[in-house]
Amino acid sequence: MLAVENRIFSWQGIPKSSRIILISTMMVIVFITPNLADGYYESSWNPVEINTDNNYNAVIIDEEGNAWIFGDGGGIIFGENIEQWTQVNSPTSEDLTTAYANEEMIVAAGKNSSIIYKEYNTDNWIEINIQNSLDVNAISINSNNEIFIVSDNGEIWCFKQQNWIKIESMVSENLYDIVFEGEKGLISGSSGLILGSEDSGESWEIRETPSEISDSDIISIDLYGINRGYAITSDGQILKSTQESLTTTVGYYWNLKEIESENLSTSLYVNLTSIEVLSTTKILLSGEGGYIALSKDGGNIVTPQLLPIKSDFTINDIAMKTAFVGLIVGDNGTILYTENGGEDNAIGFEIIDLSDFSEFVDFTKDNLWEGLKATVKIVIFGILLGFFIGIALAMCKTAPTTLKQMIESDLEKTMIFFWIITPITIFCSRIYGIGLGILALSSIIILMSVLNYNINKNNTDNEGFLGYSISNKYRTIIIRILGFTLLVGLPLNGNWEINGGLLSIYSAFSDFHAFHLGSDTYKLSAQLGYIFAPIGNPDAFFRLIIGLGLTYLGLLFSSSKGDFSKKTIYYGKLILVALFWLIIVTEIFVDSNMARNDITTGHGILTTLGWRILLIAIGILLTKRILPEKLVSTTKTSADYNISIEPWKIRPLRTIATLYTDFFRNTPLLVQFMFIHFGLQLGKHIQNIGIDISHDLSILSSYLGPLDNILSPIIDYITESLFGPGKRSYLSAIFALGLNSAAYQCETIRGAIAAIPSGQMEAGRSIGLTYMGTMRLIILPQAIRICIPPLGNEMVNLVLNSSLASVIAYTELTRQGKLVVAITFQIFWTWGMVMVAYFVVTWALALLLRRLEEKTRIPGLGISGGN
Amino acid sequence: MNKVVLDIENLEKIYPGGVHAVQGITFDVKKGESVAIIGSSGSGKSTVLRCINRLIEPTKGTIKLNDEIINNPLADVNEIRSKIGMVFQSFELFAHLKVLDNITLGLRHVRGMNKEEAEKSALEVLARVDMLDRTEAFPGNLSGGQKQRVAIARALAMHPEVILFDEPTSALDPELIGSVLQTIRSLADEGMTMVIVTHEINFARDVADRIIYMDKGLIAEQGPSTIIENPKSDRLKQFLSSMNEEK
Repeated sequence: MLAVENRIFSWQGIPKSSRIILISTMMVIVFITPNLADGYYESSWNPVEINTDNNYNAVIIDEEGNAWIFGDGGGIIFGENIEQWTQVNSPTSEDLTTAYANEEMIVAAGKNSSIIYKEYNTDNWIEINIQNSLDVNAISINSNNEIFIVSDNGEIWCFKQQNWIKIESMVSENLYDIVFEGEKGLISGSSGLILGSEDSGESWEIRETPSEISDSDIISIDLYGINRGYAITSDGQILKSTQESLTTTVGYYWNLKEIESENLSTSLYVNLTSIEVLSTTKILLSGEGGYIALSKDGGNIVTPQLLPIKSDFTINDIAMKTAFVGLIVGDNGTILYTENGGEDNAIGFEIIDLSDFSEFVDFTKDNLWEGLKATVKIVIFGILLGFFIGIALAMCKTAPTTLKQMIESDLEKTMIFFWIITPITIFCSRIYGIGLGILALSSIIILMSVLNYNINKNNTDNEGFLGYSISNKYRTIIIRILGFTLLVGLPLNGNWEINGGLLSIYSAFSDFHAFHLGSDTYKLSAQLGYIFAPIGNPDAFFRLIIGLGLTYLGLLFSSSKGDFSKKTIYYGKLILVALFWLIIVTEIFVDSNMARNDITTGHGILTTLGWRILLIAIGILLTKRILPEKLVSTTKTSADYNISIEPWKIRPLRTIATLYTDFFRNTPLLVQFMFIHFGLQLGKHIQNIGIDISHDLSILSSYLGPLDNILSPIIDYITESLFGPGKRSYLSAIFALGLNSAAYQCETIRGAIAAIPSGQMEAGRSIGLTYMGTMRLIILPQAIRICIPPLGNEMVNLVLNSSLASVIAYTELTRQGKLVVAITFQIFWTWGMVMVAYFVVTWALALLLRRLEEKTRIPGLGISGGN
Repeated sequence: MNKVVLDIENLEKIYPGGVHAVQGITFDVKKGESVAIIGSSGSGKSTVLRCINRLIEPTKGTIKLNDEIINNPLADVNEIRSKIGMVFQSFELFAHLKVLDNITLGLRHVRGMNKEEAEKSALEVLARVDMLDRTEAFPGNLSGGQKQRVAIARALAMHPEVILFDEPTSALDPELIGSVLQTIRSLADEGMTMVIVTHEINFARDVADRIIYMDKGLIAEQGPSTIIENPKSDRLKQFLSSMNEEK
């Protein structure tokens, strides 16, 4: 290792305090800050101070908008306009447990046959006597102003024309609640019983209920218009009934609700006491243990709401005056009213005056701060990813390893690569998935390199592989066999089949042909549609490229005679020219039968003629360019017609790196974002891989005993913050930015490497360092200092390009800006603040880079060597 | 009879494009011998030197180091190069490392020594070239002569079988040449095997055991240092007279 002071970026060179600050800031930003500030909520229920601890069992809002609360011991409380509360004289001292009000009167009832009523224009409550002694569970009034009560043991009584008449229910279950809407009536009871009536309560029939609740008590039931019916069981389940068809109205079919917010369980695990339906989809539920919950989507998501004081007293009843104003009552003097529909108030969304700039800033600064943090997160990872991949690419592009070296000097390693490493990787991927395939590939390569290095350390002569080398007389034959296998592959069955070059090309072309993107004529221009074929079948495209490469290598190897010099294609130039003319002639003369994808379909004779003249002109120019000046001349030798190529000079690493950079530099970043996130769904796949890896790591750490207690939460935390739900766009953004930046940084670094005098490489190699060694120890340290300014440029680009991540729904700064504009409509201010934020970030980065440049200055290197 | 360290036979190098830089050179270097190669520019001297440690691949011919052929494609190039030291005309010190680290780089990464051993070795070698006072300096802060001496130390530190010098003093001004030449002379006196390509005729005459005069890619004349006083071939006479005129 280089001496500490001489490393490019000396870690120990930074004072300790700064190091700590740097590391902790990065960790905080990346891991600890939660995404999206949670607002805090406060209860929208306000207690009513009555100064009694009585248990309140029922509450109703009457037609005049006043509230009546009924409790144990016959207690009645009157709330005028739900504002002035007074206790009222009650004619009974029995517990009152249920009440109802319509336009004519208010009724209440409870234990021991206590039934009272009051008409609106009077002040007094009057008792109604009923001959039997029973505890009234529920009381209601139908559309004919007849009072109905239900009780245990299937008893239904109706008070009409001053007399109590028992209604035949034909059931013996305890009946808990009764509700009327028009001529419809519903009764709920124990053992999952629901009775329905279509004649205002004269006759009742059993309605079907789900078998799951056949043991539960349906303690409350409510209707909303003729569209919706809801019922609850004491086990915390919600039943819903809708109008099933034109002929089946509400109340006939009841379904048990699978509550999404309880992971699709049918139970809320709370003993519910009452339900109030505010609209077709908005319901309030009350229950034991101070439970009050709101659902705005018909019971899919049920959210418990906060109470102002932590109370465990059972909430017994709910009454809503409007959708927003209402009361709940419960044991132990609990009376609460709300003006917000019972929904928790989210602090931070209060109505503020956004045209005042300071209030605007106050309101939006959280959003923008979150956006800034999100931007910094993807920028950091993007820069790191881009830098390391960029260096790797730059080294691949400048690597001098030619094909000749691979075959001549390193034949053994090349053989192992093609015959052992590649097949193993392919089989692993096919059987166990790509992840394991990549793992197998890397571990084998690392293992073999290390072994080889150690064994060959001090050999000057033929190093071969692991000490074994092929003797000279067999080398050429082996090369030919290698070539042959590359062409043909391993055509076994199923998982054990590996297609060689020729078969890959053939299968790729047949797949492409299946798309029928070109017409059947023999013209080149008619087949232009095939340019899109790779998108139609990316797998086939991949196979095509690999097939072409393998065929090239295969042909080259199998025809090798042991010499690696250039090859001559005799009369190659003539052949080339003839080929061009063939194409031109087919273009001109083969009929275009108005088929699809044919670009030369004439729009008129002049246009067609124009095309043809143009093609002929191109042909003449090409001929003059390729062939020597005079086609027939006595002084020209046949050698002038030959094309000589150097097939062994190709540098495979350079080719691969070039494919990568050409793809990323020739497509726009915005399109790359969308392709990677929506097309490839890279974020999703990486998230899955990450979750798998962390799962394996957790299992691994569980074997480590006590160490597990420290490791497990760390693993879980890192997994959550990197691969948790909702992190898909985060991962996609990092990769899109990083991979794109790598292509540009590669070119920058390559330029910097080329700026280092070649003598440095010579000097390094002449003391015996390998190519990689010289690169790592001598060239790159100097090159990186040279490329700091252009890389700084690249990083600033990356920060600004991160704004494109907003199209894949990653809430970084730009997207937050959009959200803020949508909420506040202050366009100038919002975008102005966003611009300032970006400026600050990039400026800070530029300052950092300036400082880095100064710190890593080498005396004598670069223009700024002196003063 | 000293054993032959370097044996070069029929070395030929044709650059792509058809330039015949070296057209068939044969000579050998025995242990402890210093051979000077002189000649005008373009005669192929530097090419020969670079072919020896395979910085340039010869198109024909064999090069043997201690009776092992080193220019076959299967040989381990890096091992070979670590046994052949090279000193360049433009010094080629590693600008981002201090003087001491320039020397220890090879020792630590090629020979595998640890830091202390490497530094000890480096200091010994730096003492031989008389550069102990500037071990913590960066190359950018050194004069030409000092840089070249460090370069020599760097090559020496690897304990090579033979050191090649590619016009070591051509980039220096006259005052600084002296110190470098002195260093090389003392190395020769200590018995180091070396091949020096140089323009300093007097130095070649004083230090070298044998002088090779190359012209247009071929060895025009070879012999002990007396050929400078008594050149046999016409071309050498012409060359020497033209060098003398300049002086």
